Order: sequence, then structure tokens, then C-alpha cells
Amino acid sequence: MLEASGLSAGYLGENVVEGVNVQVAAGQAVAVIGSNGAGKTTLFRALCGMLPVSAGRVRFDGEDITGRPAHRVARAGLAYVPAERHLFPGMSVRENLLLGAYPGRPDPSAFELVLDLFPRLEERRKQPAGSLSGGEQQMLAVGRALMSRPRLLMLDEPTTGLAPKLARSAYEALQALKETGVTLLVAEQQVPLALSLADRGYVLETGRIRLEGASEDLERNPEVRRAYLGVA
Amino acid sequence: MKAVALDGIVLGLQFGLLGVGMTLIYGLGGVLNLAYGQAAVLAAMVVAITLTAGAPALVATAAGLLAAAAGGVVIDRTLMLPVYHQRGEHRVLLGLLLTLGVAFVIDGLLLWRYPTGALRLEIGGEAVPILGVRMRVGSLLASGISLVVGAILLLFFRATTMGRAARSVIQDEVGARLVGINPAAVRTFIFALSGALAGLVAVTRSMTSPVSVTAGFDFTILALIVAVVGGLGSVAGAFLAGVLLGIVSTVSAFYIGQYITTIVLLAATALTIVMRPRGLLGR
Repeated sequence: MLEASGLSAGYLGENVVEGVNVQVAAGQAVAVIGSNGAGKTTLFRALCGMLPVSAGRVRFDGEDITGRPAHRVARAGLAYVPAERHLFPGMSVRENLLLGAYPGRPDPSAFELVLDLFPRLEERRKQPAGSLSGGEQQMLAVGRALMSRPRLLMLDEPTTGLAPKLARSAYEALQALKETGVTLLVAEQQVPLALSLADRGYVLETGRIRLEGASEDLERNPEVRRAYLGVA
Repeated sequence: MKAVALDGIVLGLQFGLLGVGMTLIYGLGGVLNLAYGQAAVLAAMVVAITLTAGAPALVATAAGLLAAAAGGVVIDRTLMLPVYHQRGEHRVLLGLLLTLGVAFVIDGLLLWRYPTGALRLEIGGEAVPILGVRMRVGSLLASGISLVVGAILLLFFRATTMGRAARSVIQDEVGARLVGINPAAVRTFIFALSGALAGLVAVTRSMTSPVSVTAGFDFTILALIVAVVGGLGSVAGAFLAGVLLGIVSTVSAFYIGQYITTIVLLAATALTIVMRPRGLLGR
């Protein structure tokens, strides 16, 4: 469904990620794991058109989307939820969700899916997004992205700023979402959580893919255990 | 006193519309449009010329608003492009300088071609008593138009997809792109709307007093004051500030003197900025 080949991108002419190959098949959940500054956010921004690509190609659903502006990538069915969420703080929860369906009218089944997944949003629907707690804002960011019925949902560090218990329930929601058939690509520092959700994973280090494979293999890999799972 | 307050509201509703056009451009593009008043004057001159050519008032007004809207689109799509590539302080500064240049050019051209140009839409008829005060028909028509257009604008921004999209770009441009909104298209639309609003205010003003070819910078400064007092980026704030400042303006003109209204207005603005730096309804 998503395929990046030889992808390089960065800021001010300096590549942060270099020659990255990533593949996500339909219906899969794929994790990109790595520490702070490994280039996960840069990679995601390049994939969804928020950041210009300096080399390589991105294909989505068989179509070349390299260099396409972000709003057109979003309309093509690739939704991106950044770690900073970028909600519309002065608008109500409901208005944020409505805009998620832009430019169309919101699909009632999409509303249902989002409110089933996050019943809290129903209670808060008239409140301004800026007044929500961190966990609720994360729910709203994912909910807004789902309103357009995307085929691929990319989440950058969905557990940012969440207490451990909330982080776990965020991943339970993602698991439920995966079971509805949405393809997921998740960047995460909390490696055990990410690998529990994902079918496959990539380990990103200083802008390059160090390792890739099925989640179980990565969990057993001594390097991954030492560097990311806190096992000596 | 009642008559003065009503006059203030008549003026204030128009101030409000004028401020909305300025505040929207700032909210969307991070640009304080110093050529804003020239859009108003451009519209006024087009209306005056088409009227002289024999067109009915409504057609002439439509032509004037269209000309101002088109001017907005042209500026957004040409001169403003380098501005949008800048961020923060550079963006504000470059925007100020370029729009100031545009203002001088438009002013110069209009003054050269129509040195004594002015729009007078004298609306005749008997004065109508409102709340025991005799109001001129021109004042009432100007207020009616401002109220209706203001209500339509508020509704548009609250309840339509396009209006919400415009607000979303003001609140978080990255977020807007993430949901599939093209900020550049929204910006162009708002530039057109802003130009048309400036033109509309010129037309309603001309119903009670002439709008001369040299009125550009007065309109701009008034719009800036209203937008800042209301809170840059806030449509409802601009309306509120417009009405309040309209009343302040007529009250001070009546009780102190016409010559002092600008000073009183600026003092009221300074006071608001000191007490509420984000404006009345600013975020």
C-alpha cells in the first residue's frame, strides 16, 4: 500500500534521513522504532508531503505521490497524526471532527467508528479542543484523521506526553482500529508497546534503517533488546 | 445623547466590516495589509465611474466590489508569494513593506487619473424616526447593509465548510493541511473577500458623506485600529471593536470636537493594547 524507496529528506539542504526503504502492506500494522533524533518524524513528514523529498520515491496505492503537497496526499487517503497533534484549539471537538472529513460531508459511519473508539469525545463534543487533557487531545487527533476514512493512518509518537496507563489504553484503541481493517504505520520510542501492536518493524538509527523484520524477530534480536527493551 | 449614540452605531457597524477584512488577512496570511484602504478607494472610483457612465447603482456597486476583490486576488497571487515563503518577523516586515508599496502605487495612479475623484451616493428621502431620533435614510441603509453582511459573515464562518476551513487555517495551518485543506486557496479566497468588504464599506460610507480619492490611508488606519482592538484574527472581535469605536468616535466628535476624534480613537486603542494586549476577543 505504501512504499518508499531510497528516500532522503531533511532541512536546509542537510539530509536527516538517507536512503530509507519502507514498505507497508494493506491491513498491516508497521512500527518504525528508534530513539529521539533518529529521524522518525522527518521520515513521516517526507512520506506525507509535509517535507520536500531530496531523493527517492514514495508510492501510495500504486501511485507516485513524491512531491505532492500534503493536502492532496491527505485527500488521497493517507492520514498523518503528528506528535504535536495540530488540532484547531479554538474550535469544538465536533467542529474538529467535521473538518476531518473535509472537503466532503462527514460520513455517519465514520462518526460512529470514532465515537465507539473514543466515547470520551462524545461527552466533550461541545468543548473547545484547546481545553481537553493530553489524552483526550490525542484521541481527537486520531479521531479527526479517521473522519476522512483513510486507507493508511500514520501516527507519530501517539504516546507523547501520556502517562503509562494512558499510553497503554491508546495502544488498545489502535489495536481495535487495526481490527477494523485500517492500515497503520506508527513511529514510537516506547518499543515494547509498538512491537505488541505491529506485525513488522523497522529500526531507524541516525537516519538510516538498521534492522527490519517481523515484530517477534525484532523482539528476540539481541541488539534491539539491549538498545530499546532495556534487557542487558 | 441618544442621537449621538445611534450615529455612533451606524458608523461603528461600518468600522466593524472594515476591521473584519483587515483581521482576516492577518489571521490567514500573517500580513497587515497596508494597501487595504486603497482597495476601498479603488472600489469607490470604479463605482463613481460606472455611475457616471449611466449604470444603475446596484450594477455600479457590483462592479466596484468585483474590482476590489480582483485587486486582492492579484496581490495575493503575485506580490505576496515571497512573503508566504518567510516566517515570523521577516514575514510581517516584508508584508508591511510590499503592501505599503502597493498602497503608494494605487494612490499615485488614482490621484493622477482622477485628482478630484469622489464617490457620493446621496440617498434622498425624508428622515425616518427611530427610537425618537430622526435618522437619515442613507444612515439606515448603510447600517442595514452592514448588519446583514456582518450576520452573513458570522454565519459563514461558524456554519459552512468553507468558513470552518478558513478558521482552521487561522488556528493551525499545519492541522489544516493534514485534513486536506489547501491554505493557499483559502488565502486567495479571503483576499478577494477582504477586498470586496473594503469596497462595500466605501460604498456605505458614501451614502452619508463623500469618499474622496485620497481616503485610502484613513481607511487603512481605521481598519488597523479596529482589527487590533478586536484581537487580530477574530471576526466577532472586529465587529465588537468596530461598534465600540464608532460610538467613541461620534461621542468625542460631538462633545469635544471633530478635530480631536482621531486622538481619542488612538488613545482608546492604546488603552486597549495596554490592558488587553491580545485585543477584546483575541486568543
